[in-house]
Amino acid sequence: MAERKETLNLGLVGQLRKVRVTLPEGEARPWDADATLTVVGTPVPRIDGHLKASGRAKYTFDVALPGMLWAAVLRSPHPAARVVSIDTSAASKRPGVKAVLAVAKPGDVLLFAGQDVAAVAAERPEQARDALAHIAVEYERRPFVVDTVGAVKPKAPLVHRAAVEERRTEGDEPGAAGGGKASGNVRPLPQSARGDAVKGLAQCDVVHEATYVTPVQTHSALETHGLVVRWDGPKAMTVWASTQGIFSVRDEMAEIFGLRAQDVRVITEFMGGGFGAKFGASAPGSRLGFIAGELSRAAKAPVKLMCDRHEEHVCTGNRPDSRQAVKIGAKAGKLHAIDVEAYGTAGVGTGAGVGRNAIGIYTRCPNVRVRAHDVFTHGGPGTAMRAPGHPQGAFAIELAIDELGAKLGVDPLQLRLASDEHPVRLEQFRKGAERFGWAELRTRSAALRQRGARVRRGVGVAASIWGDFGRANAAVATVSVLRDGTIELANGVQDIGGGIVTVLAQIGAEVFGRPLSTVRVRFGDSAHGPSVGSGGSQTTSSVTPAVRNACEKARAALAQLAAKQLRCAVEEVRWGEEGVARGGGGSITFTQLCKKIDGEAIVATATRPETYGHEPMAFPGGKQYQIAGVQFAEVEVDTWTGLVRATRVLAVHDCGRVMNPLTLRSQVNGGVILGTSYALMEERVLDPDLGRMLNANLESYKIAGARDVPEIEVMLTEVHPGANNTGAVGIGEPATIPTAAAIACAVHDALGTAVRSLPITPAKVLAALGKIPGPPAAGDASPASASPKGGTP
Amino acid sequence: MNRFSIVRLPTLEAAAARVAGGDGRVLRAGGIDLIDHMKEGLVAPDELVELHAVGGDEGRLLRGVETEGDGSLRVGALVTLAQLADASTLPAGLRALGQAAGQAATPGIRNAATVGGNLLQRPRCWYYRHVDLVCLKKGGDMCLAQTGDHRYHAILGGGPSYIVHASSLASALCALDARVQVLSPGNKARELPIEQLFVGPTVDPTREHVLQPGEILLAVHLPAPAAGQRSAYAAVQEKQSQDWPLAEASVRLRIDGGRLRDVRVGLGHVAPVPWRAREAEAVLEGQAPTAELFARAAEAATSPAKPLPGNAYKVPLVQGLLREVLHDAAGVPLPE
Repeated sequence: MAERKETLNLGLVGQLRKVRVTLPEGEARPWDADATLTVVGTPVPRIDGHLKASGRAKYTFDVALPGMLWAAVLRSPHPAARVVSIDTSAASKRPGVKAVLAVAKPGDVLLFAGQDVAAVAAERPEQARDALAHIAVEYERRPFVVDTVGAVKPKAPLVHRAAVEERRTEGDEPGAAGGGKASGNVRPLPQSARGDAVKGLAQCDVVHEATYVTPVQTHSALETHGLVVRWDGPKAMTVWASTQGIFSVRDEMAEIFGLRAQDVRVITEFMGGGFGAKFGASAPGSRLGFIAGELSRAAKAPVKLMCDRHEEHVCTGNRPDSRQAVKIGAKAGKLHAIDVEAYGTAGVGTGAGVGRNAIGIYTRCPNVRVRAHDVFTHGGPGTAMRAPGHPQGAFAIELAIDELGAKLGVDPLQLRLASDEHPVRLEQFRKGAERFGWAELRTRSAALRQRGARVRRGVGVAASIWGDFGRANAAVATVSVLRDGTIELANGVQDIGGGIVTVLAQIGAEVFGRPLSTVRVRFGDSAHGPSVGSGGSQTTSSVTPAVRNACEKARAALAQLAAKQLRCAVEEVRWGEEGVARGGGGSITFTQLCKKIDGEAIVATATRPETYGHEPMAFPGGKQYQIAGVQFAEVEVDTWTGLVRATRVLAVHDCGRVMNPLTLRSQVNGGVILGTSYALMEERVLDPDLGRMLNANLESYKIAGARDVPEIEVMLTEVHPGANNTGAVGIGEPATIPTAAAIACAVHDALGTAVRSLPITPAKVLAALGKIPGPPAAGDASPASASPKGGTP
Repeated sequence: MNRFSIVRLPTLEAAAARVAGGDGRVLRAGGIDLIDHMKEGLVAPDELVELHAVGGDEGRLLRGVETEGDGSLRVGALVTLAQLADASTLPAGLRALGQAAGQAATPGIRNAATVGGNLLQRPRCWYYRHVDLVCLKKGGDMCLAQTGDHRYHAILGGGPSYIVHASSLASALCALDARVQVLSPGNKARELPIEQLFVGPTVDPTREHVLQPGEILLAVHLPAPAAGQRSAYAAVQEKQSQDWPLAEASVRLRIDGGRLRDVRVGLGHVAPVPWRAREAEAVLEGQAPTAELFARAAEAATSPAKPLPGNAYKVPLVQGLLREVLHDAAGVPLPE
């Protein structure tokens, strides 16, 4: 079957149109708006939900192999130091110790508190930790800087003496990468611009200028980073890893130990969260794979290395902070120019950009420039975290738009409607505003402000932008139709928690017209065939089309078999209820048909071709189809105590065809909760004089709990994009991008004054209200003053 | 965490003797703060002597909430926060104590955490809790919070240590004029006012209470509520599910002839000890309850405050909180 053309009914539901799409060879006809599906798109509960809820699901943390040893890592207590000497001899004599590894060598320079120094494997975890105390390391301490503002200063201690290699993973947004040459600790990132922001600003009637500050956020997955390594011979190993990228673990282990990739098997049956930090065999700031593999080789036993909570905060990645100087202006009441200059720190790592929000969303604004910079500090490396850069960028640009709107006397929603041109997002703004009660709520906020009420309420809105990064040829799916009628789908994808396994089962049930209970999914194992990492909101859009193609191929083979059994031409075979085949005046049930399979099973494999089309065709803001989303938030602020509660969020999102509304809503809920937490409480605190993290736990590193979660309403604007044969695009990242920004805008609406620094704590609200006695805070209204050395520049 | 033994002894005398008889032996009640310390590597006891193993009359007293002949209430040291938070446990005039117990931690912790453990727990200061850092409280020569990040630290009574006392029950018990009963070596019991249980940093920055090794806190004794007594407690937290308060306020009062009487105000998480706000009490006593009066009292409460550069926000915050609690306790509706 060669390339062919099909006419599909595509677009935003309510604005559908017929589009001719060219399909590559072997590609199933895409499910468009006219497709009548019975399983896909229905709220199927997670097929593994009972295992998770009952504790029978086994995570990497639960893996226990015969003879397995436990590893622990000695980490640098100094933010900057040279290793003078390291002596592991005493440690190796401690009870239970089977192997000791000096990871750092004399002369090595350690660049953050938490960096690998040495490691031990012992029979019991407490023996391994005890032995660490018997490793003698002499350090020569060096000057350091851990705060972003301090690191920019001319005489700041230099973090890196050589050029820094950029570390990118599948969690990073595809596209612009790289950076300019560093000067001191500052490394410019690629600039994005259109028009002339400087000239544009000069032409404006009204200009708003302010600096917006966001904190370092840590991923804080409930399951920490870690893995179990077992050597299966001198040149082969099996690795159980808590990872969102099985194949990235395989490739890195193969590279570290000089193995062939196919001789490294990686298993992730269940995983307890990743949020972008779990790609590869190393954690971003710790060589976990190397350490576990070396210890295992030396001890000749399987080794388990799982980080503790402290390690998880200091050396396994984080969302970089940002300090964004925004100039935004309007001409004749319309957004005319935006200029953002951002500095942020990813510690010793790279990637402190601020996303595409300023340039990609309000595309009617003719003059935009975004200049971002990595600032190196002696802190654990940043890494991709759910929509890298975007929540930071959204916070600054959206709150700046609201502040400009206030100066103009224009409703901030109207300013957005006039500046955006994405057809789906415009619809989301309008429909969402109606559902949310935007106009009435804005009036209520103004009345409360006017009366000087003690408890204020406010509402805000913000938008998201994210591309459809569905990948071609990355996932190879295998489907086996067994003689007993079971349909087995196999792919090496890991389920990060989004529910991909359930969705794959739905695809199988849909194509074969069979009950879900007869579909079995084999996953979470590199042996089940290539797949993508769970990053960039691309899992569903990359894997489901491959699975569907494989299913369709197997069903075509079944049709041949049916034709033979029914003694009719294969074109005459029709599929009915529960997969019954009809033709030539007769019929055969699916089970009967499968019994006729010659051999064990019908097996088909397939992949997913390049994205072949998109509707709507115009998607301003990027090269790929741009997934649209907006969120409305409502807050309540106690002006006596400064306490902000997020009371309600309406999340309006596009994610292409909805595969499963239940798992989708869970993803959106998770994104909103993460964003609420980022808005109101999360912040990594480093002591600037000690260079140590003060809140490396889940007690004073605060994450929203049940009572902090707003009432979340999810509204889906379904689009049939015609991008791939299932119509799936991503939702993981978009769901968290606008939340914090919308909450910050709502606080602005409630108070009439902006809090320009996240998290929006009582301290910052009281400062914004001018209630804090003593000398006024220097600079802008954002009260970084509330924590004099809180690490925010 | 190192290996340790659990020792169960049936009498207080035996438990006290066991603990006094060797290093590395500690009493365990709910074990909340103790296990935290062990997990964080701050202490490594060899033996945990279980107070829960104490039986007989002693055990009943430790676990009981009993009204005595004079109407006073004796709350055993092993009574859990969950029991206290149960509205049926306490008379209406002692509501502040139930509110404080119900606000603390999580349902799971409240089911295990005890009154005694809550009062004797160590501070949550992030310098103190960091295993690698040696602060004044751990025998170092300076309070690292004073020049460091002290957003959660003391604005009242600070120096040379700036911790805030962690107990949520303590501020309520100060407002309710409670006393504590302590068993001293030789099986002698003594009773002291709640405020005297605590040690400020000028006396000894390495400890927070006066109990000597071998002494055991037995119970909290609350005077009988006066006719018409009301009380209220509230806290402000950055996070509403399981967080340590930024500040707490507890108030006890009664209204007689339209005037406030017997006013006591306790503040929590603003000072190294549970803080009695006598300046606020003086403003309130004998006055008619009004919103304006409460605002003045709240200002008076913080008049001795000496915030550090990074925690001045706690001054208006605790003022706002105290106003809200005064409105609640006196039954004066809060403004919109």
